[in-house]
Amino acid sequence: MIELKNVTKRYESLTAVDDVSFTVKPGECFALLGPNGAGKTTIVKMLLDFTRPTSGSLSLSGIPSTLAECRQSVGYLAENHHVPPFLSGWHYLLRCAELLDMNRSEAADHCRRIVELIGMQGRENTKVSTYSKGMVQRFGLGAALMGNPKLLILDEPTSGLDPIGIREIRQLLESLKDQGMTIFLNSHLLSEVEKICDTAAIINRGKLLVKDTISSIVKDGETLEDVFVRLVKG
Amino acid sequence: METSKSLPTITRITKYTLIDEVQQRSFVVMFVFCALCVFLVRGCYQGNYMVNGQILDAGTIVRTLSKATFHVIGAGVMVIAALLSMRIFRRDRNEGMQACILSKPIARWQYVMGKILGLWVLSTLFMLILHSIVFLITSINLQVFMPEYLVASLLCSINLLFVVIAVLLLSLMMSDIIAFLCILGVGIVGFVADGIAAASQSQIGQAIVQQSVGQPQSELTWWKVVYVLWPKLLGVQQLASSLIESESSHGFRPIYPLINVLVYCLILGALLFKRFRNEDIV
Repeated sequence: MIELKNVTKRYESLTAVDDVSFTVKPGECFALLGPNGAGKTTIVKMLLDFTRPTSGSLSLSGIPSTLAECRQSVGYLAENHHVPPFLSGWHYLLRCAELLDMNRSEAADHCRRIVELIGMQGRENTKVSTYSKGMVQRFGLGAALMGNPKLLILDEPTSGLDPIGIREIRQLLESLKDQGMTIFLNSHLLSEVEKICDTAAIINRGKLLVKDTISSIVKDGETLEDVFVRLVKG
Repeated sequence: METSKSLPTITRITKYTLIDEVQQRSFVVMFVFCALCVFLVRGCYQGNYMVNGQILDAGTIVRTLSKATFHVIGAGVMVIAALLSMRIFRRDRNEGMQACILSKPIARWQYVMGKILGLWVLSTLFMLILHSIVFLITSINLQVFMPEYLVASLLCSINLLFVVIAVLLLSLMMSDIIAFLCILGVGIVGFVADGIAAASQSQIGQAIVQQSVGQPQSELTWWKVVYVLWPKLLGVQQLASSLIESESSHGFRPIYPLINVLVYCLILGALLFKRFRNEDIV
């Protein structure tokens, strides 16, 4: 589903991603972990062709990430998601649906289901400027789920959510995983990752430290947090 | 990507650009202010004007004033188009729409094309509405019908396309306000140079040149080349306004300014697409 081959990204003298290679199989729930500035968001941006790698190649469903077609069934939620403040949540979702070539009635049906899924019934018609950060995040997740994508790329999806919201998002991701959706998760919440994901990769200073199943990475008597700290601190 | 598949996407982005701009308070204020200013021109049509001791007839007054208003509106809307274009990429970035659109199976060129068309259509409508106010004033109050006035307005929209593309391109390379000022500078220099050129072509101007130089200069100098190649925004406006002139006066002026501005649109458009293709989306 996702393939990175010897990907390097340099910003002048800074190497944000250094010769990283890994694959994510269809139906896998994968977590990309690393401290701040490790290069996680840069990898996500390269997957979506928001920035080009200095060397190496990336592909989604076998299609190079530089081609728009590769994003045909990809949902994306950005870290610190933003929505135009003058739109209502409903109109924002409607726009996202229309951009996926849905007609008006099909888009409206789909949006109704999404609003229910993200638990925002009754608030969808008010302007985004009146929403809390968590509500904006929920609508962002709703937009990512538009069109029933096969691959979901989530950059810090629980950012700004309260513990109940985090739990709801986790439950939602678990149900999506059960439906066979491939999930690529960038998160700092290691306890949540441990509960949801099958595989994980840890990167630090742009270098891939480990990529394996969670059960292989975490040894008996350890938590993912212990492994993370041990690997990152060297 | 096939053109038939690209077209609905470009149309949607164009529509969203239009809707988003119209919802901005600053746009509404600008539009109402401009419309009120054009309404104020109404009073100018009712005065008695005398040139060389002769009172001008109503038809001449209407056409002369309408032409003057035409040029003022044309130049003014160019400034407004630059103001609208300079912040479009930044706003889309800050409000998350750029990432939202480009994370879908939409190519960058489709996004840029949608933005260009949205801004062009919006500024053309803006100008057409203002010109229509003048058209309605002359038609209803003075019973002088000038449908060619609206045709001229549409022809003038080529200038708006140039302004939109140029400001969008520059806003990717420098701060928004500098991009705006650069294009304002290009426009002002072009208008002044065309004004000087027009004055030097007049009888008085030719006489002054002959007195000071002796013989009219015909050799090619670098500034003449720069002048010829400079974006001919005023030239396009003059070409368009020549449509408004009465039948007895001179017809269509040479179409070089139109070709000049269209070539600039193509070159700057190609540069804009190339530049945006390599732009990092944040």
